[in-house]
Amino acid sequence: MRIISGIVFTIGMMLLALPATAQERSALKKGFELSANSGKRILVFRPSVSVGAQSTGGMFEPNGDWTERASKNIQVSLERLQSRLGNTVIVAPEAYGEEAQRLQEHMSLFAAVSQAVIEYQFFVGNRLPTKKRDNKNDVFDWSLGAGVASLPGAQDADYALFIYNRDAYGSTGRKILQVLALLGPGIAVKSGEHAGYAGLVDLKTGDLLWLNADGAMGGDVREEEGSEKRVRQLLEDFPGSAIKQEQ
Amino acid sequence: MKNAIVAAALMALLSVTFQVPSASAHKLRQKGEAVTVADSRLTVTPQCDWNRLSGKPGKNAETWTLDGGQLNDLTFYAGIEAGKPLVKERHKKKDPLPKFGKSTLLVELPELLEGTYRTYKKIGAFQLTSTAPARFLGQDGVIFTYDYTDADQITRKGEATAAIVDGKLYMVSFDAPRLHYFDKAIADVRALVATATL
Repeated sequence: MRIISGIVFTIGMMLLALPATAQERSALKKGFELSANSGKRILVFRPSVSVGAQSTGGMFEPNGDWTERASKNIQVSLERLQSRLGNTVIVAPEAYGEEAQRLQEHMSLFAAVSQAVIEYQFFVGNRLPTKKRDNKNDVFDWSLGAGVASLPGAQDADYALFIYNRDAYGSTGRKILQVLALLGPGIAVKSGEHAGYAGLVDLKTGDLLWLNADGAMGGDVREEEGSEKRVRQLLEDFPGSAIKQEQ
Repeated sequence: MKNAIVAAALMALLSVTFQVPSASAHKLRQKGEAVTVADSRLTVTPQCDWNRLSGKPGKNAETWTLDGGQLNDLTFYAGIEAGKPLVKERHKKKDPLPKFGKSTLLVELPELLEGTYRTYKKIGAFQLTSTAPARFLGQDGVIFTYDYTDADQITRKGEATAAIVDGKLYMVSFDAPRLHYFDKAIADVRALVATATL
């Protein structure tokens, strides 16, 4: 019996340990530097936030109440930390109609680009051959395209800070399935999803200058304290900022 | 008994280890080098370096990308036989895919792709934007364009070229977000499609 519990423990430890050892989390475009108080203007868009539950089958079920609470919490934490980003922060004007739609689509594209970076560049064992070569030459080449220049507020700034956040909290059924899977034939079942991406984008070219992306972040965004932790984690290593030193 | 338990444990550990995508099975497809695709005789010569993704969407299908499947998806369907779907069916009973048939006409191919996407990608908004006759693989074929909005709320544009040769379907499709990514690669894709031979 002791052997079996030892085996279960070992498998559990491996499940926990594997992603951490195989993955990078942030990157900076070659040659890009942003020193503190450089006089650059950074446009900050309202973060794209969605929070929900993960059903037993793994489907995302949005929860309006949680999303609203998390959006508010994240916004408050972001405002608190903005002054520490080290440059002039401009809050993006409220967008309406077609403009709001265009911004939303760019936010979604930012999320897709971040996911691709995690999947095919940060995850060393899964690198695309062309990206592998890029990495060897220290090239970090990802872009949202020059369309960003037409986003609301872009003409008044040099860079834009995009933040995307998605949390799915595992339902009871999902958690039970996760435990059962651990005891079974070794199928990895993940309970919950906590993805957060923060990226600095050149507002002329759309090129990604800095990205901090993680598919497994800390902090419960439904709580104020948790949101503060999440936003600090998102902005950790932001070029030229004083946020990391405070941790 | 102890040995059996230890062996079972080792097997379990190994199977967990292999859950992680194995050491890059994605393959480089080099500019200027002719290569066969989707386990068929269909040969193409890329005009820039591409990556062939390790996972295949179907028995006679294969996907190439530049930056990841979500940003540029070049899929080859090569030698699809009558009675078969374009990609592997996930649930034969619950989510059956439309099948290419003996009597399928060139003009019906956009509908075949649309029906496949609606079930396979679970998308609602799919719009065919143009259809025109084209030469492909030395035969009369069809070229069509479309756009759709995926569950990730990104609108993607697509262009596909297809022909039916000896009763089998050959098709190359390219899908990418309409923001930046489609326009960035479409010229290279068209040049690659023009090199296709059997």
